[in-house]
Formats: sequence, C-alpha cells, structure tokens
Amino acid sequence: MTVTGQDIADYVHRVRAALADLPSAVRDELTEDLPEHLTEVAAEADGTLVERLGEPEAYAAELRAAAGAGEPLGARGGLDRRIAAAAHRARARLSGLDTSLGPILGYASASEFLRLLRPAWWVLRGYLAAALLSAIFSGDLTLVPRPFLSEVTGLLVLVAAVLASIWLGRNSDRLRRWPRRLMHAGALVLVVFGLVLLVNLDERSQWDDFGYQGVSVGDRYDSVQDVFVYDSEGRLVENARLFDQNGVPIRLGYPSCVDPAQPDAALRTGYPYCPEMAPFRPRPPATAPVPPGANGGGATPAPSGSSLPTAAATPTAVPSATVTPAPTGTVPEPSPTR
Amino acid sequence: MDTTQLLKGVLDLAVLAVLREEDGYGYDILRRLREAGLEEVGDASVYGTLRRLFAAGLLTTYVVPSESGPHRKYYALNAAGRDQLARSGKTWRSFATTMDALLDDRGMAA
Repeated sequence: MTVTGQDIADYVHRVRAALADLPSAVRDELTEDLPEHLTEVAAEADGTLVERLGEPEAYAAELRAAAGAGEPLGARGGLDRRIAAAAHRARARLSGLDTSLGPILGYASASEFLRLLRPAWWVLRGYLAAALLSAIFSGDLTLVPRPFLSEVTGLLVLVAAVLASIWLGRNSDRLRRWPRRLMHAGALVLVVFGLVLLVNLDERSQWDDFGYQGVSVGDRYDSVQDVFVYDSEGRLVENARLFDQNGVPIRLGYPSCVDPAQPDAALRTGYPYCPEMAPFRPRPPATAPVPPGANGGGATPAPSGSSLPTAAATPTAVPSATVTPAPTGTVPEPSPTR
Repeated sequence: MDTTQLLKGVLDLAVLAVLREEDGYGYDILRRLREAGLEEVGDASVYGTLRRLFAAGLLTTYVVPSESGPHRKYYALNAAGRDQLARSGKTWRSFATTMDALLDDRGMAA
C-alpha cells in the first residue's frame, strides 16, 4: 500500500491539532519538518503512516515531551501554563515587532538601535537621579539640580550621579537577581519622576519673570462683535475711536453689517460698526426736557411709571373729581357775576 | 529492561554524538541513530530533541535546497553544542563505569 500526499497532509493536520494549545510559533517550529519527514518515511517501506509511526496524537505527545514544550493545557497547572503561553505569545509578537520596526530606523531590529542608545540612557538616568535627590533635599523641582540651594554642589552631585550611573550601566551584567530587580524598579521610579519634572517645568515656563501666569487679553473679548459708546446724555456716539495708554488703536469686534463693496469703510470710521444694532435706543427728542438725572435708567422709566400709578391712581382720582368741579364752577361764576 | 526508558535520559547525548562527525537533517539523524543500534528510538522523540537542543542554543540550522524532493533543514553542532557533548560524554562515561563496576561486583556482568 502506498502513502499518498493526502495521507501525509491528514497526518500532519492531526498532529498539529493535538498541539493546538501551544503558541502557534512553537507549534509551527515543531511541525516544520514533519511533511518532509513523513515523505521520507513513506518512501522507505510499505505500510500506512499510522502503522509505521503510531497514531498522530501519540506522535504529537512524543514530540511535545521530547521538545520540552510542556503538557497539554489543562492536564496540569492549567493557569500557570496559560500565563506562560500568553507570555510566550507576547514575547513572540514583541520580537516580531522588533524586527519589523528595525528597517524603519535603518537597523536590522529596533532592539539593535535601542542598544546603541544605552549609554545615553545611563547619562539621563544619572541626571534624573541627581534631580530627584535635589527635589528631595530642596523640596523644589528645578532643571539644574541644586540641593542645599547651591549650584556648585548641584553640579558636583550631577557629575557624580552621571558617572555612577555610567559605571552601573557598564557593570549591570554582573548584578545578581535582586540587585538587578532593584535597579529596574529604580529606573521605573526615575522615569516617572522625569515625566513629572517635565510636565512641571513646562507649566512653569508659561509663567513670566514675576511669577504671574500670562493671560491672553484677547480671548476675554472674543465674543465682542461691536462697541457702542454713549455720552453722559445717553446718546449713542457715532464714529468713536478707542485707544490704549500708548495711543495704539484698540480693535474690537468686526464689521458684520458693512457694505461688501467697501469692507474697509467701517474700520476707518470707528465704532460702532453697525449703529442700527445698538442695544439702547436713543431717547425721542420730545423727552429732552426730562432732567438729566433720569438718563441713567434709559430703559427703566417705563416700568417705574407703570408701577407707581397703579398704587396712586385710586386716591388721586377721587380728589381730582372733587377738586376740579369746584374751580370750574367757581371760576366762570365770578366773571358773569362781576 | 525497557530500552526506551534508558533512551530518554541519553537521547540528547546520542543526538549530539551523531552530529559530531557530520551535519544532518532530521530523517538522516534518525537513520544514523538506528544504524548505530538504537533501534527503538522514536521519530518524534528525535525531532523533538533536535528542536529542544536548537532552542537551547547547542545547534545551528541551515536549509539545503534539494533538486529531487523537499528542501532539507540541516542541523550542525556549534561551539556550545560541542562543549555540551564533551561534558555530557564525560558524565556518561563515569556513570557507565560506575554501573559496570556495580554489575561486575554482583557477578552479573553481561
């Protein structure tokens, strides 16, 4: 009996299925040579593959055991193994990312490039350590470390920290497990501290020399579209111009109602751009005799006038009815009698 | 006594020893082991062992294109593999000597 290509494919498929719990990279690696091997086994002598090699599942178990790839999932220590498998997968993906990112940077792998940056990290680590020391002793975050408020000691500490960090970097291979973990934890602390320092200095750079946070004046008046100037009589002033203490014209708003044919006209004449949009109407000329003291409440006279009479209407109506007849009756009377 | 039990412990050493003289691909290594007398060695065990030794950094691999048939992945000993072979070989010899002496003392020499 001869073994066909389909038999081989089926056998490979069943072996792979029995190894399905392994990370795919490991499984591919384990079964990479399997089709070729089965082809050679098939060519060697008669008999089916199962007769020659046993069941595919048994073959898979033997392969797994010999390769030290671990028990099937769930057989023993399922959770541990799943975590280990996840870690392995993550590592495989990372290394894939590593090699795929490398060419972008112009290197075989990203890690090769990063390895070149290690001394730079040592220097940065020394600086951050000095800055952290300075922050602890002086209680202030500064760009140049100055513990004890002295720049000279600060620079000495900085140089010492950088040199120590470089030395540590060059000798970190010799560290045992715990010192190494301590070093990694320290690096994490320094990175976090570095970010805090960066954010803090960035915020501080927005303050001026006097310690006031700069305020942009413009944004408070962004909503202003037009300016209306009223004189002490409550009259709208046309073509008003505004200047600051230096004689610089103050430009606020924008001409929204200007004739499109002459867009510059309004800018030349002054405020308001659109007199017809004035929030307070000028008083009609008939009310001119009203005392100037009332002009503060240009809009209020109407309500105050309407509220007062309602209270006073009834009392005044009675006297006016009684008083007026008397004069009218008395005034004409004397003239004819006289 | 079942030889497969013994094989489990020394298959690494056997595979390394087979590769000392000449590089080989999976099936070829299997055949060489069987020709050397290890009849009971399993296909999958040899393949798995090769993968494990490779993963441990004791072997290097290279692919040789073949005109008739599939491309073959060859395994070769590297320096670490040769080193491991020397050490394991020494361990095995001392172990075997001890076992021989033990069996001789009891008058059970083969």
